Amino acid sequence: MEYDLSFFSEMFVRTFSFWWVIIPAIFLGLVVGAIPGFSAANTIIILLPLTLAMDPEIGLTFMVALYASSRMGAGIPAILVNIPGTAGAAATPLDGYPMTKQGRGQQALAMSFFASISGGLFTTVIALLSLPWLSQIAYYLHSVEMIVIMFFGISLIATIAAKDTLKGLIAGFFGLMIGFIGTDVVYETPRGTFGFLELYDKVPLIPALVGLFAISEAFAIIERQSILTERGKAAMQNPGWSATFEGIRMAASRWWHITWNSLIGLVIGVVPGAGAAIASFVAYQQSKTYSKTPELYGTGHIEGLIAPESANNGVTSGTLVPLLVIGIPGGATAAIMLVVLQYHGVTVGPDLFLTSPELAFGPFTAMAVTYVLMILTALPLARYMSKITVISTIYMAPIIISFTLVGSFVPRAYLFDMNLALVFGVIGYVARKTDYHVAAILIGVILGPLMETYFLRAMKMSQGDIMVIFSSSIGNTLWVLLVISLALPYYMDHRRKKLGDGS
Amino acid sequence: MTDDKEAEGSVHTSVGSQLIIPIAAILFTIYYFYTIIDAPWTAQVAAFIVGSILIILVVLFGLKSVKIIRTGQGALDFDDLITPRSFVPKRLGLLSLTIVYIFIVPSLGFTITTFLFLAMATLLLSEGKNMSLILSLSAGLSLGGYLLFIVAFKTRFPAGPFETLMKVLF
Amino acid sequence: MKKLELDVNRRLILKGSATALGLATVSSFPFGSSLAASFPARNIKVYVPTREGGGADRLLRAVTGVWKNYLSTNFEPSFFPGAAGRVGYEKYMGLAKDDMYELLFGNMGPEVLNWVVKKPTFDLSTFQYFAQVDSDPGILFVSRRSKFKSIDDVIAEGKKRVLNVGVSRLAHPATLGALALAKHTGAKFNPIPLSGGKNTRAGVATGEMDLGALPSGGIVSRKKSFKVLVMFSHKNPLPGRSENAPTMNDHFKTNMPSLIAGSRAFGIKKSAIAKHPDRFNTLETTLKKVFADPAFKKAYLKTKSPWEFIGYRGPEACAEYSRNISKIGQEFKELLSGKKT
Repeated sequence: MEYDLSFFSEMFVRTFSFWWVIIPAIFLGLVVGAIPGFSAANTIIILLPLTLAMDPEIGLTFMVALYASSRMGAGIPAILVNIPGTAGAAATPLDGYPMTKQGRGQQALAMSFFASISGGLFTTVIALLSLPWLSQIAYYLHSVEMIVIMFFGISLIATIAAKDTLKGLIAGFFGLMIGFIGTDVVYETPRGTFGFLELYDKVPLIPALVGLFAISEAFAIIERQSILTERGKAAMQNPGWSATFEGIRMAASRWWHITWNSLIGLVIGVVPGAGAAIASFVAYQQSKTYSKTPELYGTGHIEGLIAPESANNGVTSGTLVPLLVIGIPGGATAAIMLVVLQYHGVTVGPDLFLTSPELAFGPFTAMAVTYVLMILTALPLARYMSKITVISTIYMAPIIISFTLVGSFVPRAYLFDMNLALVFGVIGYVARKTDYHVAAILIGVILGPLMETYFLRAMKMSQGDIMVIFSSSIGNTLWVLLVISLALPYYMDHRRKKLGDGS
Repeated sequence: MTDDKEAEGSVHTSVGSQLIIPIAAILFTIYYFYTIIDAPWTAQVAAFIVGSILIILVVLFGLKSVKIIRTGQGALDFDDLITPRSFVPKRLGLLSLTIVYIFIVPSLGFTITTFLFLAMATLLLSEGKNMSLILSLSAGLSLGGYLLFIVAFKTRFPAGPFETLMKVLF
Repeated sequence: MKKLELDVNRRLILKGSATALGLATVSSFPFGSSLAASFPARNIKVYVPTREGGGADRLLRAVTGVWKNYLSTNFEPSFFPGAAGRVGYEKYMGLAKDDMYELLFGNMGPEVLNWVVKKPTFDLSTFQYFAQVDSDPGILFVSRRSKFKSIDDVIAEGKKRVLNVGVSRLAHPATLGALALAKHTGAKFNPIPLSGGKNTRAGVATGEMDLGALPSGGIVSRKKSFKVLVMFSHKNPLPGRSENAPTMNDHFKTNMPSLIAGSRAFGIKKSAIAKHPDRFNTLETTLKKVFADPAFKKAYLKTKSPWEFIGYRGPEACAEYSRNISKIGQEFKELLSGKKT
């Protein structure tokens, strides 16, 4: 391709001139990202009349900005009230919420924003520079390889369950079984649906997420005055800008961590159908495996927060790659962007880079500019957003219940889904009170069906030969890496003990 | 979650409540297996693998629980779940209100139901204090929710008298 | 949508029944049978068994946007996605009244095949389709990167090894086409369900699948990425857009019924027709007029689908199509359900 520096700099200048559409999109994205049940995808659908009326370039810029900021918005309630706004932020509360309880909500938000922004910006630039090459990933990661990637995600169950392995595994496997509710992907046999047609298409994720995290949390927090611990309350006494700067500094000093995890997100994002949830689970698991201090994860550890947040923003850049290069959307939001482009008569695919490069590269420059503008608009909000944690639980619990129940209704508009959220709320409450990890259940619910899908697809393609899962060289390399990443913590632990004995 | 435990500082395990999740898991797994007995292999393979492991895990946990009870480190009670006991009535009240919310929202619509739920749940938790603040806050939030969810985002939430009236007026 | 609501409001006010608190919902007015002569006296509710914003929704909006002028009433779609359409049909048969004010708008082909694979809870003989709106034939297609350039290449290779054919679902007319072709030629096709057209195109584009079988609409609009190899209809409705792809019947001298994969149609409870034949007649005659209305063509073309697919087909044609599809479905039932018949 003959694109030189002047082409890209012109593109950036041009995109900056759309600041008037990007900034409102950022704020809208933060709001819809933060409410479970709402997402960039369904907001774009709602705003379709508006987007379609815009010039395609501006419309696309608007959608991209909304998409990028909604991803970041989903992390806000995950950190502050232990409720991930979307499944992509499901790994964020693991370390984000403990920080909030310690009164470090502002700092955690600043870290998460910094990790999201810099991870997103970095991967966007990488994607922009390596588009032709990156788009090839989808040609190599097929069902067989995705099975192994799923295992990376699922092995997080064991990682989370470190404190009480047996209970953690029971929670995770229970989640997997719940995830298998619904018809099988090959012959559409209904399974474990209790006779409800609404469960044929598997357990809907948002009601499960709302129930396990939000409703159960609301029932649990009423016994405390606020979500903060006593120490946390003291720490919240003097809110200033210092916590924001400290958060940024701490996250920035882990730049290597952000780089690495956002790249994991980018690669997973490029594969059609994979998504932010898998990426953030895989990132968290990898981060912990190679950490020098794995025991700190889950207690409010910085790396445990920035790993999933930088990864899920890496996915955001990744999903655009197959959309623009081969015309295959990497996720729901990208699919809607495709509809808008088609409406304007734009055919995506390799030719787009020749026929209208401003539309082909536009989404990436728009995303980069969005991240830059977020530094000015979103980052300063951390200080004010964190105040929400001092609100008394007397008010907080009912608000959480009513607004997240709405959220569980929205994606499918079935009242059934509100009942389902309540059932998951009760399961989640019992799990919380008896120290079964709700995140382990949710990982099972999210990844179980995905893994089964890839597995059955591979099995059907090989006509029932189980050895198919070891049939690809990329897949086999991934298997080896998986075994290493599972064995490494035990090895390190063993070595540490040995060293300890020796000294 | 762990805060309460740390505060208590005891080693007592309430085995009864610890067993709820495993037993629920087993019952569900058995039910699930029952639904796929006659299904094609594609519907069975993943569930049989995962379900069998789950059953083994639960059996192991059961053995561990028996040991805990025998050695006197715990008892077959449900203390984990209901402590602190003073909050049991409030929690049950909140649960009942949530069930009522889901039950009446189809007929009363989002705005009115949300107002009633917020007001009653908050009054329940505050033990009737700050009545006027709570009522105005609930009204404000449910109206805000109406504007955000129904007017702005056009969700197809059930319309009740309030929503219908608004539609007629505007 | 917005406009639709505004119209509803005006009607309410005009009727003077904007009861102070608006306690009456639009569909529960006390008019009904006494005003039978002036059918329709209120909005017509349409159950759509797919999600809002999908293909059926867009087509329905184009049709009802014009149809409402002929009936002087509005249409209220409600969406029941899930279980490949089963939720929508079960809700319709369970909830709808037989007063001709409640219709269903579905996709006949895949949904009829649903019942072949697994019987519904309601009695199928109490339901019928009465007006098919579009006909999008099932096709086989490959990626432009594929080594296959024609259907003959595919069949030749399929005789040497098993080819993986990406399909939206097993119980789908396009899948039946692929299976029928394999049976006729002796080629070995292994259909892999990928849950929806989007995933199927992805599977074919990334090379995981050797070829794919889908309705033609989503493929001909992506000419640069995909090539149509064969069509499972009596004639190719889009010769220009599909590089003159042959039909199976022409190319292989077979005598297959037309396997229309996209076959959106209005359906209704038979009891409604029996109770109100006059009302049914009103619906039928006005709907026919829609197809000749230039406003409909204009609205439809905005959905970016080929106008060639559009054509009114009445109750008999719908019944014949359903019969054909379920007959071929029965033939391959074991392959579709994984169970021996």
